Amino acid sequence: MAKNSTADLLMGSPVVRRKEAEKTPSERIADKIYWLLRAAVVANVVMLFFPYFNPARLSGMINRNLSLFSCGVSYQSIVSNFGRAFRQGWVTEGTFHALNLCAALIILAVVVAAAGGCMSLGNRKMKKAGLVVTLISGLMELGAYFWLRQIYVAIVNEATASNRMKNVEPLYPVGINTLYLVLAIIYIVCAVGIFFLIPAPEKSDRFDMEPKFQLFLMMLPIIALAFVFSYLPLYGWRYAFYDYKAGDVLSSENYVGFKWFTQLLQNSATKRDIVTVLKNTLAMSGLGIITSWIPMAFAIFLSEIKNMRFRRFVQTFTTIPNFISWVLVYAIALAIFSTDGFINTMLNSLYGAGHSTNYLMSADHMWLKMLAWGLWKGVGWSAIIYVAAISGIDQGLYEAATVDGAGRFAKMWYITVPELIPTYCVLLLMSIANILSNGMEQYMVFSNSMNRESLQVLDLYVYNLGINSGLIPLSTVIGMVKSVVSVILLFVANSVSKAIRGESIV
Amino acid sequence: MAEITLKKKHETEGGENKSHIKLTTGDIIFNIINYAFFFIFTFTCIFPFYYIFINTISDPTLVTRGAITLIPKGLTLSNYKQMGAVNDLWNSVLITFLRTFLGTALMVVVSSLAGYLVTKREMWHRQFWYRFLVITMYFNAGLIPWYLNMSMLGLTNTFAAYIIPGIVSPYNIILVKTYVESIPAEIEESAFMDGASYWTIYRKIIWPLSKPILATIAIFGAVGQWNSFQDSLILNANSPELYTLQHRLYIYLNSSSNLGAIMSSSTTDVGNLATSLNTKIIQYTISMVTIIPILCVYPFMQRYFEKGLMLGAVKG
Repeated sequence: MAKNSTADLLMGSPVVRRKEAEKTPSERIADKIYWLLRAAVVANVVMLFFPYFNPARLSGMINRNLSLFSCGVSYQSIVSNFGRAFRQGWVTEGTFHALNLCAALIILAVVVAAAGGCMSLGNRKMKKAGLVVTLISGLMELGAYFWLRQIYVAIVNEATASNRMKNVEPLYPVGINTLYLVLAIIYIVCAVGIFFLIPAPEKSDRFDMEPKFQLFLMMLPIIALAFVFSYLPLYGWRYAFYDYKAGDVLSSENYVGFKWFTQLLQNSATKRDIVTVLKNTLAMSGLGIITSWIPMAFAIFLSEIKNMRFRRFVQTFTTIPNFISWVLVYAIALAIFSTDGFINTMLNSLYGAGHSTNYLMSADHMWLKMLAWGLWKGVGWSAIIYVAAISGIDQGLYEAATVDGAGRFAKMWYITVPELIPTYCVLLLMSIANILSNGMEQYMVFSNSMNRESLQVLDLYVYNLGINSGLIPLSTVIGMVKSVVSVILLFVANSVSKAIRGESIV
Repeated sequence: MAEITLKKKHETEGGENKSHIKLTTGDIIFNIINYAFFFIFTFTCIFPFYYIFINTISDPTLVTRGAITLIPKGLTLSNYKQMGAVNDLWNSVLITFLRTFLGTALMVVVSSLAGYLVTKREMWHRQFWYRFLVITMYFNAGLIPWYLNMSMLGLTNTFAAYIIPGIVSPYNIILVKTYVESIPAEIEESAFMDGASYWTIYRKIIWPLSKPILATIAIFGAVGQWNSFQDSLILNANSPELYTLQHRLYIYLNSSSNLGAIMSSSTTDVGNLATSLNTKIIQYTISMVTIIPILCVYPFMQRYFEKGLMLGAVKG
């Protein structure tokens, strides 16, 4: 608290920062125009990543799902379908290299525009410099616009010359290109306009920016990354409403509304799958929840061991499995339980040859086996949090209990357990909130032709359906429902926690 | 009397010397069972690693015959030497090392910067941006939208797919933020008085002072990167040259007894190798290659467990 208020004071003090002069009326108008400029820049940055806004798709042979950004950074992505076209001379590679460069130029222009936008948050001197930067980016984008037209003409000419108009299918996305032209004009006009609205900075001024914007700009790349990788995927939910196969384009033609949602409930094959999958998911999460006290018991009994060296030994080695991947756990399972694994080898050497059961191929008790593997991997690690909690319990409680004649188990049950319950509750609520997400790796590595049926959990099902079978809309629907249910469960768990313990868990 | 026992008990608390306390028969039985249980469980955690290890350093012919169960026989390193002939194995090792190194380094730098910045109240709409980051921990769009998004961004079949999405890790940002808040404010204030910028303060003060927490997130992040398998499986399925070690291991574990699928055809003496190596040995050896780096950093990790605990607790 103190730190921040002091910092605030310091900000205003002349020692640190020169106060900017009062804003002139024309500067206030400039501020309004700035918002238009900044909005244009943000829109332009976002447009880079959306295939719909790709002005560089100048031929029907260029993948529809390519964004301008991909076109700019990867020549290969543009010409992925052009093998034959180049070999037979329908079009020349040079034209498409130019297209790639042109896309890169637009990306560069947008980056420059973004830099100009950031500088608009500074003082007068920085603003003026930023406007020059914006002007440059506007000119670059304008140049790119005309260059794209030329490339289009070149493609048309080449296709006509080789008489392959139908195959090459030259396109000129007029709307999108005009949009880029408009953006370029906005940059240029705004830059020039604002330049005259802002009073000249004093000679002694240095490049400077208010602290709040400095901090924001330092944060901006991080925010942008979080947006792109955590929020942007939500845009993919639209696939749930289309009849989409890889390579298709979403349009009003394949819009199917809630077809996939109803199929989930009506198609008997899908319904059967879903029921099995839900049964597996809930069974395995349920087993996990039922056995969630085991790490706590593990820690309690471990703390009964008074030999510190042995205790440390146990803790060290039971934690290792937590840090290896499920693939390695499966490698271990193979080494121990497969046909030529440890168990069969042992049986053979003890009782003579003939033992070659592959324990991993059986489909019996899969849920319990998965639970056992999960416990083997996780119990040592999960126990650490309880071990730490136990070491924090007031020793006086135990001493008092000893005086009252409490035995070992009485102390465990009446002192240690109640002290650990709050920690346990938090973890339990979290695991209830995560009941639908048990991950796919464990079940994926352990599945084989025998046990596939009982290992298919929701996450794995979505993977198989979407990635392996290519049923993208249906698997998106399932993922959507799962996400929404998970969030609701989290809220419920959180309110339960608030009601019971007066503390939230998120 | 009670006082005396209490005192004694207190003295021995946490110590190894128990000789002064009288044990009842029940105590002895309890202790035997307790020690036995933990001994057996710990054994099951160690033995598989040991078993795989002794099989990789033993004479291949003995391994194939199933003669190696408890002790290694005919010590040799030939199994490891012959891994060079395994298809793309070293390529995967390289890719995995690179992604672990780069991915972790970037994640740590960004987490520490973001963790520092979100403690600054002066930031424009700080609370909003902080929530903006934190919410992403509790919500995700699902596997398929994530995959479609990555392919829309052109990150499928690229090495960058391993690095970029993991750079911003909200949980680690929270950890750093909590830590930075515990650094005395006076240090930063005096730097302000000297006219230091936020960037200088971050570089010269926050970064060095928050090294303990950065070490924690680095080590857990590195293990996560090393073990990560889904991104290779889903995003780079069509680029075998980008498969991570875990993915490669998964493929070899599933390619049963098909040596041809594992050994590179470019090697002239595949026949020779096939006689001395079988799938089992290859699987064991690759498993060992995959485990060894984890076991190497494990001793260093242990002192960060306490801090990493919070990590486990929040992620549930």
